[in-house]
Amino acid sequence: MDKVNFEVLREQIDSLVGSKCEVYDAIGNDDALIIPSERLMDVVALIDQIFDGAHLTTITAQQRAGQHNLIELMYHFYQKFAFTIIVRLPAEAPSIASILSILPGADFYEREVAEMFGVKFTGRTETPPLLLPDDWDQGPPFIRKEVIDE
Amino acid sequence: MFEALFYLLIFPGGFFLVLVGLGFEWLDRKLLALFQRRVGPPWYQPLADLIKLFSKEDLLPKGGNELVATLLPLISLCAVLVAGLYVPIAGFTPYSFEGDLIVILFLMSVPTLAYYLAGIISIGIYSILGGGRSLLQYFSYEVPFLIALSGPAVLARSWSIEGILTAQFTLGSFVLFQPLGFILALVGLIGKLKRDPLDIPSAKSEVVGGSLTEFSGGKLGFWHLAMNIQAVVGIFLIINLFLGWTKLANPFVAILVFFLEFLVIVGMLSSASAIFARLRIDQLAGLGWRILVPLSLAQILFVILMGV
Amino acid sequence: MSKISIPIGPQHPLLKEPLSMKIDISGEKVLGGSLRLGYVHRGIERLAQKRNYVQTIHLVERVCGICSHIHTTTFCQAVESLLKLEVPPRAQYLRALMCELERIHSHLLWLGILAKHVGLDTIFMHTWHDRELALDVMEEITGGRVLHGANQIGGVRFDLDESHFPMIYANLEKLRSQISGLLDILENEPALIARTKGVAPVSQKTIRQYGVAGPVARASGVDVDMRRDNPLPPYDQLKFSVVTMPDGDAWARTIVRAEEIRESLNLCEMILEDLPDGEVSKRAPRNVPEGEVIIRSEAPRGELFYYLRSDGTDQPARLKIRTPTLAALCLLPVQMSDIQVADIPVVLAGVDLCVACADR
Repeated sequence: MDKVNFEVLREQIDSLVGSKCEVYDAIGNDDALIIPSERLMDVVALIDQIFDGAHLTTITAQQRAGQHNLIELMYHFYQKFAFTIIVRLPAEAPSIASILSILPGADFYEREVAEMFGVKFTGRTETPPLLLPDDWDQGPPFIRKEVIDE
Repeated sequence: MFEALFYLLIFPGGFFLVLVGLGFEWLDRKLLALFQRRVGPPWYQPLADLIKLFSKEDLLPKGGNELVATLLPLISLCAVLVAGLYVPIAGFTPYSFEGDLIVILFLMSVPTLAYYLAGIISIGIYSILGGGRSLLQYFSYEVPFLIALSGPAVLARSWSIEGILTAQFTLGSFVLFQPLGFILALVGLIGKLKRDPLDIPSAKSEVVGGSLTEFSGGKLGFWHLAMNIQAVVGIFLIINLFLGWTKLANPFVAILVFFLEFLVIVGMLSSASAIFARLRIDQLAGLGWRILVPLSLAQILFVILMGV
Repeated sequence: MSKISIPIGPQHPLLKEPLSMKIDISGEKVLGGSLRLGYVHRGIERLAQKRNYVQTIHLVERVCGICSHIHTTTFCQAVESLLKLEVPPRAQYLRALMCELERIHSHLLWLGILAKHVGLDTIFMHTWHDRELALDVMEEITGGRVLHGANQIGGVRFDLDESHFPMIYANLEKLRSQISGLLDILENEPALIARTKGVAPVSQKTIRQYGVAGPVARASGVDVDMRRDNPLPPYDQLKFSVVTMPDGDAWARTIVRAEEIRESLNLCEMILEDLPDGEVSKRAPRNVPEGEVIIRSEAPRGELFYYLRSDGTDQPARLKIRTPTLAALCLLPVQMSDIQVADIPVVLAGVDLCVACADR
């Protein structure tokens, strides 16, 4: 919400990624930035470094209506001001680097996204299910097209 | 022969001890409830609990030794019932001999060892943990307890409880000469009975039920009975060794005095239960060996010097 | 001694709600542990996509029993933000009153549980007795002790009038005197201090890395409180202090929560004094325009996060809830290394579990 600090952060991320990242301003109360998915680890490391430890609130995953070929992952941070980093993954074989090595607190959130949306997190030894029962065999509950279009 | 049976089964053993044990449990729970702003159970609650336990299903995990599991509570019960025969109640005891204090202390330790064994033979992990802790606790409180209880024996120059009781009639209540010993004996009794704050072996939040986690039904009923009677015998012991004044000519006055002393000690035990938090086992071991043992040694030294 | 693994849960005297932990111990020393959640997973986020907004309020209230009101408040604030609806000030104050009462009752509940695990049954009985005072006030004004049904989109569903005030003030007064007695015990009782001081300290860096906020973070010296940092009215007009302690061990967490009860009592009285007049709700349209919003608020256990996306219909398109217990549970295996078996209840209690919150 503090526009000045978000601008500073955005500049740093832009220079890190090498191109101007799209600002997504449809979210009330939060500033959001869309970054390419392969640069996630670098951006998170940068955030951690700038703020001397980044406070990750959660990772939200969703599919937008009309865009069922994409899964959107939002990494919500809160560090004196609130901001969000958005990555978009293809829905067929979604896979992204795990930020567990930088932020160990992301463990539960990644596990939940993995089991609910079928996203594969690389760089983790294992991603056991968090909330679904052990004998759940019907695939990620959120992602089936027929379930969402109901 | 019939006299012996009467003493063994009705009074002062058997039936009488069971009654007093149930009465003690009710008194303890009612006092605790009053401390905690609750109402507490009605007078027949301990009896009702006992009847309920005996009517329940009796299970043991697969691999547990059924015979030993049944014998252990029965042995504990028998040990404390026999111990009850030697402790004067309002000045009266059918059997008394020089050295019966030592016998009683030995008999009172039988339930503790049985508790440890019960934890080992029930296969569950909480039972084993509880059993191990009970043995560790035993090593922490038993030494100061024994030393504290030897104080009155030294002062009375007699190892029979009846002799100690008689000596207090001439010398005065021993609690006046060795108040520290009295406190230490009470602390040791709390440890032996595994009551709050020393209920570490059966701490509900850590080891669920301790050694007795897997016991149920009649076996658990016998354990509860044995523990209640152990408490009663222990309290009687402390009354006779420290408070005395119950070997009087008039039996009614003796009974009244005995009953009042009983109430005082139960009150102290319940207050300790209500007030203090549970110690950790390493804190208890530290307390036992670093504080209680030196204090008890100091007390006994004082008593010996005084006797001389 | 060899390493053995003891299971705690799903049913265990330690836990209020089912949770499965496997703790590795060697003798009396704990080596580490692992967690398994999901025993009370009801799929609330998925269910919300099939219900309209009014039904979702009732759905969201049942995420947790202890902190039910803050969930509905946050959700209603999210919807009102999308609707660009201005809630009348009286309703804002009444919502805050219920939030603070809930914080009081939640912390008292927690204090009782901690005392019981440490062996101080007497404090457990007394704190739960005092908790009835707060619950009676909540029942008096909304009709419910645990689930209130107090919120609606556009305001609240209850109102206070002159007859309520004497009873509320009397109960708050009684609570205040009981709390000072309680704080005296907590700060001075040697057995409690011996059991909790120095147990499982957590550094500020660990707190940041695991994304924990709330009393656990404040006990480690991290100065974060959503009521002050991210204020939604009326918190921007109320003065209160945020309690922090430097040590980060179990005792610090106890003291922080006990002091917070006092602060909440102050806040309740401030709210009652400054209560503005006016209506208590505004009519809200059925369909919510397209948009997304994020609301963060301060639940009794920490930072509560709601992300709501609507697509123009009367059903939410995506509702994401992150409850504070989830972050605290992530911290648990870290805290479990290098403590004793007898400290496990103290550590678990310090986290203030609300597994239903974490599972949703």
